[in-house]
This record gives sequence, C-alpha cells and structure tokens, in this order.
Amino acid sequence: MKSSAVSVQEALLQPGAHDLRRARTDWVMQRIFQVAAFLAVLPLFVLVFYVTLRALPWLSPALLTNNPLDQEPGILNAIVGSLQMTALAILVTGPIGIAGGVYLSEFASARVATIGEFVIDIMLGIPSIVAGIFAYLVLVPILGFSGWAASAALGVLTLPIVMRTTQEVMRLVPPSIREASLALGVPVWRTTLLVTLRTALPGVLTGLVLAASRGLGETAPLLMTARGTNAENFLDFGTTMNAMPILIYQYAGAADERSIGQAWATALVLMVIALALNVLVRWRTVNSRVA
Amino acid sequence: MEGDEKMLDVVREKTNKAKVAPASARGTGEAQPERASEVSGLLSLGNVEAFYGGFRAVSNVSLEVQPRAVTALIGPSGCGKSTLLRTINRMHETIPGATVKGSIALDGIDLYGSDVDAVRVRRVIGMVFQKPNPFPTMTIYENVAAGLRLLGRTAKSEMDGVVEASLRRAALWDEVKEKLKQPGTSLSGGQQQRLCIARAVAVQPRVLLMDEPCSALDPVATLKIEELIRELAAEYTIVIVTHNMQQASRVSDSTAFFSMNEDRAGYLVESGATTTIFTSPKEALTESYVAGRFG
Repeated sequence: MKSSAVSVQEALLQPGAHDLRRARTDWVMQRIFQVAAFLAVLPLFVLVFYVTLRALPWLSPALLTNNPLDQEPGILNAIVGSLQMTALAILVTGPIGIAGGVYLSEFASARVATIGEFVIDIMLGIPSIVAGIFAYLVLVPILGFSGWAASAALGVLTLPIVMRTTQEVMRLVPPSIREASLALGVPVWRTTLLVTLRTALPGVLTGLVLAASRGLGETAPLLMTARGTNAENFLDFGTTMNAMPILIYQYAGAADERSIGQAWATALVLMVIALALNVLVRWRTVNSRVA
Repeated sequence: MEGDEKMLDVVREKTNKAKVAPASARGTGEAQPERASEVSGLLSLGNVEAFYGGFRAVSNVSLEVQPRAVTALIGPSGCGKSTLLRTINRMHETIPGATVKGSIALDGIDLYGSDVDAVRVRRVIGMVFQKPNPFPTMTIYENVAAGLRLLGRTAKSEMDGVVEASLRRAALWDEVKEKLKQPGTSLSGGQQQRLCIARAVAVQPRVLLMDEPCSALDPVATLKIEELIRELAAEYTIVIVTHNMQQASRVSDSTAFFSMNEDRAGYLVESGATTTIFTSPKEALTESYVAGRFG
C-alpha cells in the first residue's frame, strides 16, 4: 500500500470515473425503487378513482335509507345486514380471540404457544369458500339460510385474526412493564388485564378492526348462508339476510343500468365504511399514547 | 446451634407477625416517624440458593441485611447479584423454571413459608429496576397511584395525599407538581427513575430493592438518585446491586462482595461495613476486585 502516493487534495477533490459511476448507479437504483413503489399504489388509486366515478351518479339519500323493493330502491337492508352480521361475529369472536391471544402470549408454555400459533396460522389461511362450504353443508341444514349461519361462517374467519393480533401485540409489551407491576404486589391476573393488556390495547383494537374489515368484505360464505333478500332484515337473524357483498355480486350481473349503478354505489359505501373503521382505530391509537 | 436459631426464629415470628400485618393497611403516605419503633425491617438470608432450571446461579448465600441502612451487593457480571436480589421479593420465581432454596426472613418471618403469599411479599418489599420502567399508558399521577389503584383498595380522596407524599419522598414533587397529568414516559431518564421510586414507596414497603438503579442514567441524575437513596435509608432497609464501586462506597453502609465459582454459580466472598470492605477486606479476592484489578 503506497498511501502517500496521492495528495489529500487529489484524493478528495478530483472525482474519477469510479465516482461518477457510483453517483449514476445511485440515481438509477433510487428511480427503480421509486417506480416500483408507484406501481404498487397505482392500482389502488385507479380502483378508488374508478369506483367513485361510477358510483357518484347513483349516490343519493334514498339509496342509503330505502330497501330494494321501495318505490325508490335503496340498499339499506344490505348495509344493515353487513354491519349486524359482522358485529355479531366480532361480538362473539372478539372476547374469545382476545382471551385466547392473551393465554398464548402470557400463560402458555413455549410448546403450546408454538402449536397454537401454527393452528391459528392454518386458520388464517382457510380460504373463505371453505368456511362457506362448511357453513352451507353443516350449519345451513340446522339453522337454514340465515344470518346465524352467516355470522358463524364469518366468525370462523375473524377469530384467528383477533387471536393472532392480540398475541403478537401482547408479546410486544416489554417484560419490564409486567415486572414493574408484579413487583408492586399486583397479582398476576390484574397485571395481565390492567397493565399488559391495557398497554397493548391499541394493537388489540387494531386487530378487532382488521377482523371487522375482513368480515365486511367476505362474499363467498355469505352467498352460501345468508343468500340475500329484498326484505328488511333488521336484527332478524333467523331468515335470509342481505349484505353489501351479496348485493354487489347479484346487481353487477344484472341487466338493468340502475342495478349495475347501485352495485358501484354499494362498493363505494363498503369501501368508505372499511376506511372509516381503519381511520377510527388509527386515531384512537395515536391518542391513547398520550392519554 | 441451628436448632437454637430456628427456635429463635419461631419466637421472633410470633412476636413480629402482629406488628407487620396491619402496617399495609395504613392510610396516607405522610412521613411516619412512629414506624421506627414498630418494625425493624431486618432481612436474614440463610443458605440461599437460586436456580434457573438446572443451573445454579446463586450458591449458598447467608447474609444479614440491617434495617434503615443501605447494603450494596457488588461483584463481577454474572455472579448472581441481581438474581439474589430478586429472590428477596420473590420476583425470581416469576421466571419459568426458576426456583429458590434456603430461607429468607424479614423480621423473622420466612418469606418462602407456606403461609406467605408472594404477592404480599412484594407489597412489603418494593423494587426499583435497572431501566426506568414507568407504565407507558399512565400519567405521572397514575404511575405513582398504580400500586394502590391496581389493587383498588384506596379511596380516591386519599390518593392525592399519597401521590404527593410519595413524590416528595422521591424528591420529584417540585419538578412534576405542575404536570401530574402528563405521561410518565415524558420525563427524563433520571426523573423516570425517581418516579419509579415514588411508585415503589407509595405502597408503603419496609424494604426497597434496587437493581443497578443508576446504570442507565447520566452522572448528574445518578448523583440525585444516590442522594435520594441516602435519604430513604432513614426509613427503609435498602439493598442495592451496583456495578459501580464508587457508587457502592458512596451510598452504602454495608457491602457484600460476590464472585463466581468454577460452575459459574455466584457465592458470597465476604460482607461487612463498607469502609472495611473497601480498605481492609479479609479476602485477597475482594481486595483485588475493589482495587479494580478484575471484574
């Protein structure tokens, strides 16, 4: 090594071919990543833009307040049906999923936790049509085509989401927080509920919303269970029930322009509801860090 | 000999039990000089061994820890000081597979006795950790109130008094009295550690265990905590684990020096008055450690 061969001035101030090439490579690589990022979000924007474009002419107060058979047809029963079937599914699977996630994170042995995770991951991977056929062939013969059967099918799909998220966010709570509580003489169960779960709460809520979004968008199991109806179906879980995905599926294939337009409008409503849920939870998450 | 000791323990236990029990039910956190005559706060460790599964981390430690004094546990890394400390308030057993042998008694009551619950032990023996760990979801006020609030046994009206007294005792009140509603995590590292001390004293413990409480702090914050430790020593039995020998010599009245044997199990080399340990220790090992020749 003859390091003293070039002066400091030469070494620092005279860019060689190598330096130029490096700068060029740098620039090209950055552009490649930029384009990739752009390509990734492009379909999203196109989708949102196009759906909004097609839906807007059909949006009206009547659309949101009337049922399909009313004088001026609307999609109220689909909105209500979607919300109440998802709500029922979350109401049942939420507490079970949260408790199960807490168990896996806080109390299960390493072996049980690994097995549990494995089983949940399999459940997460269940295609919704599989939950659908199960509900169709096992639950529908007992419960009939009904909101009950649909909610059960949705529950099978939402439970693992709630459970897995809860487990993961509980695990992110630093052990020192649990120790701080235990060292104050707070019993384990109170520490788990009032300190660990409380600290992880924003994440747990996010899991619930993720599950709700998934439930709202599910189509296949609903087609096989709730079936759809034109009648009002408020809290009437015993019979067929309408839902936004069912309505979109049925109307999109219809011949008349109004039905197709209402399919677009329903798609927009569904998107807005899911978006609102996500924004709500983000807002809660940010606030709870301060409060 | 050992039989006599046991007999003595039983007698002590009987005479002290009555005094210890109602103490936790006391109301406000105002300074209570009368406590001095009530409880001695003497910790006696007899042949304590601590295990992680099959691994013995602490071997055969016997030590008397004097009340209203600071006892420092010093020694090289991995010699089981923190583990020993965590056996005293039964935090060690919260780790899966961790067990303790031997006896640890507070005023003659065996903390590992079948009639003693770990949760109760931790109310009487508070702990401050290496890294400040205020509850991130709670305000400064809520952090101090946490111990009492999580147990739900203190009236709301009393809480303000307890919080103020605890923050004063932790020398933090003047710095935070205007912002009790801000998150505990908004404070500086040194303030957070004093917040944790306030949180610990709010539940009225007899003993305070400190596990390298200053190792994550800058020198100025460290000095403040050390001053505070000296003040707290007027009321509590304090056991502090430290890597910093200057700190041990500055804050402690007694020092126990630990080392590791060939199985990596920590053992007590010697203990005594801090001045003795640092100036004329009995063991050559202690001397070379305090002189900074190893560890």
